[in-house]
Amino acid sequence: MKLSFTFLVVLPGLVALISCDSSKDGSPRAIASANPVIQTVNYPLAYFAERIAGDNAEIIFAAPADGDPAFWKPSDDELSAFQKADLIILNGATYAKWTTTASLPSGRTVDTSAGFADKFISVTEATTHTHGDGEAHAHAGTAFTTWLDFSLAKQQAKAIADALSERLPDRAETFQKNFTTLAVDLDSLDADMMALAKKISDQPLFASHPVYQYWSRAYGLNVDAVHWEPETVPDTGALNELIKKSVTHDGIWMIWEGEPAAESIEKLQQRNIGSVVFDPCGNRPEDGSDWLATMRKNLANLETLTSGQ
Amino acid sequence: MNFAGAFHLGLCYLRRHRGKTVLLIAAISLSLILPFAVAHTVRLAEQHLRSRADSTPLVFGAVGSELELVFNSLYFTKPDINSVTASEAETLSAEGMSRIIPIHARFSARGFPVIGTSLDYFDFRQLTFSSGDAFIRLGDCVLGAKVAKELGLGPGDHLITTPDALFDMAGTFPLKMRITGVLAAVGGPDDNAVFADTRTSWVVAGLAHGHQDAASTDADQKLGESDDGSIALNAAVVEYNEVTPDNIDSFHFHGDSADFPLTAAIVLPHDSRAETLLMGRFTGNEPSAQLLRPRSVMDDLFDTVFRIRDLVLLALGAVALAAATIAILVFALSNRLRTREFQNLENLGADPSTVRFLVSFEATFVILSSLAITAMVVAILQLTSPLWLSTFSA
Repeated sequence: MKLSFTFLVVLPGLVALISCDSSKDGSPRAIASANPVIQTVNYPLAYFAERIAGDNAEIIFAAPADGDPAFWKPSDDELSAFQKADLIILNGATYAKWTTTASLPSGRTVDTSAGFADKFISVTEATTHTHGDGEAHAHAGTAFTTWLDFSLAKQQAKAIADALSERLPDRAETFQKNFTTLAVDLDSLDADMMALAKKISDQPLFASHPVYQYWSRAYGLNVDAVHWEPETVPDTGALNELIKKSVTHDGIWMIWEGEPAAESIEKLQQRNIGSVVFDPCGNRPEDGSDWLATMRKNLANLETLTSGQ
Repeated sequence: MNFAGAFHLGLCYLRRHRGKTVLLIAAISLSLILPFAVAHTVRLAEQHLRSRADSTPLVFGAVGSELELVFNSLYFTKPDINSVTASEAETLSAEGMSRIIPIHARFSARGFPVIGTSLDYFDFRQLTFSSGDAFIRLGDCVLGAKVAKELGLGPGDHLITTPDALFDMAGTFPLKMRITGVLAAVGGPDDNAVFADTRTSWVVAGLAHGHQDAASTDADQKLGESDDGSIALNAAVVEYNEVTPDNIDSFHFHGDSADFPLTAAIVLPHDSRAETLLMGRFTGNEPSAQLLRPRSVMDDLFDTVFRIRDLVLLALGAVALAAATIAILVFALSNRLRTREFQNLENLGADPSTVRFLVSFEATFVILSSLAITAMVVAILQLTSPLWLSTFSA
């Protein structure tokens, strides 16, 4: 009887540990929707996805047209839309800081730069701090404009093609075919940029913003960046910063993210520094063109560097 | 035979000895019901335990008790088990053979476990929302159906986590979590839990926090600034106890999140080959972690449970036999005591069949009543078991 008493006492405890939900086994990776929704965090990825998926998916790039998607903070409704997407394409490399605090379904999320994480460029931040006796720490980051190294851009496009093929196997052939076409364009850009870089050689260049790290590393360019905005005319302090840099980095070209103000061009010209635009194209081009056309235009702009000011 | 008269006399006798009759019926009914109830409950417990274990292909966690790891990952109990790092769990999915769903079931809020996991958990368990939606960002949470009902909370409300120890000033910081949704009831541990992003559970663990920007804090809150720009803040800097759109960017992790703890991870291999290959990694002499098939762990558990159940049923069988023997003895003694009553009836002209009917009436009535009560209780048990089982298990 003691045994039965013990058992009857233990049994409810055992029962208290149980549940009766029925779950399915395995990992549900395939997309069931006939018209899958794919969310992207920047325009280059949206462009690659559009080229690869064609009419087989709805590609959404929700960031507003007038800002840098890297610093966009989506609202709760916009985050909810991301969560409900069939596939979420991230740039990785710490691009879009909101992704570090947002809850995204990992099974439906693709980090397109995960394959070359060992090639990330670290950006050190000066300010570190501690709390009382706690460990010192800094909020250091990683350069994230990965797609300006066109070979890395190709790897990101490949990650998108593979993710789509895996989740929509019946359309995998189309995706791989479309990727091959896109890869040809990216290879061509890469080769042309490499040829241009050889002509530019190691002449010092200024960049208006620190977003050209992967570009300069991939093509062996000698770039030093300031923190200027195209639409803002540099003040005396900003110009002094440039002059200070010129002591060790005697650049005669300023690479701008966008078309600079005429006064900015003039101020630089007074110091024998020319201006040329190389748009990273993180957002949709305002002129209605696409990413590839913008990159082609960037390369055409860079021809100026090889032909003299 | 005067059936109506004999029936009337039989009932009168039972009414006259109602205490003895009720005791006999109760003893026989209980001796019949108990074995059935035990067997039925064990069967149900097995079914339910197995259904959750069967639907969970593999579970990954630190070396230690297999049962505790399975219970932590499937039923959110045993919060004090050893942990593995997030990167250890991620290695299982790194080669594309599986997906993992992290589980960090260490903390609680108002008596309910707070489970740090990913949105994939809801897809995996096929959980739907009765109101609101999934957690959206750091500091959000989703309530199980029973939690929402008992606490009277819903989307838009807040729930504060329970610190490890009330007077431990260096312990975990209570986090005020925003409730974004309530899960539909499923009758299991998911009804009884609070779900949040794994990173939110790490904030609760004190591995991440948000506070005013170090560079812009008041001078009296700075202990000093080194040549490399490092700022030492004193303990007076107030940390945020709630994540809001205004302060979310200030939340940061101390250390590499790859080294942060998980109590377990549900591993979903892509196919049986991947499952075998993954299992093979943890068969060495001194593995640093373990990968388990919950089904196998449940097999081991139920091997033990069944052995105990069989012993219990044996004991209950002996009890039933004893009860039956005592009942027979009672009937025999009763009939002996009624010998004069039966003689009188015969003297009054009652035919032998009427007397025989009266002799067997008490035993027949008690046995039939016991069987009827047993059948009724068994039916009620079977009909209501899903209800009380879900109440117990939630």
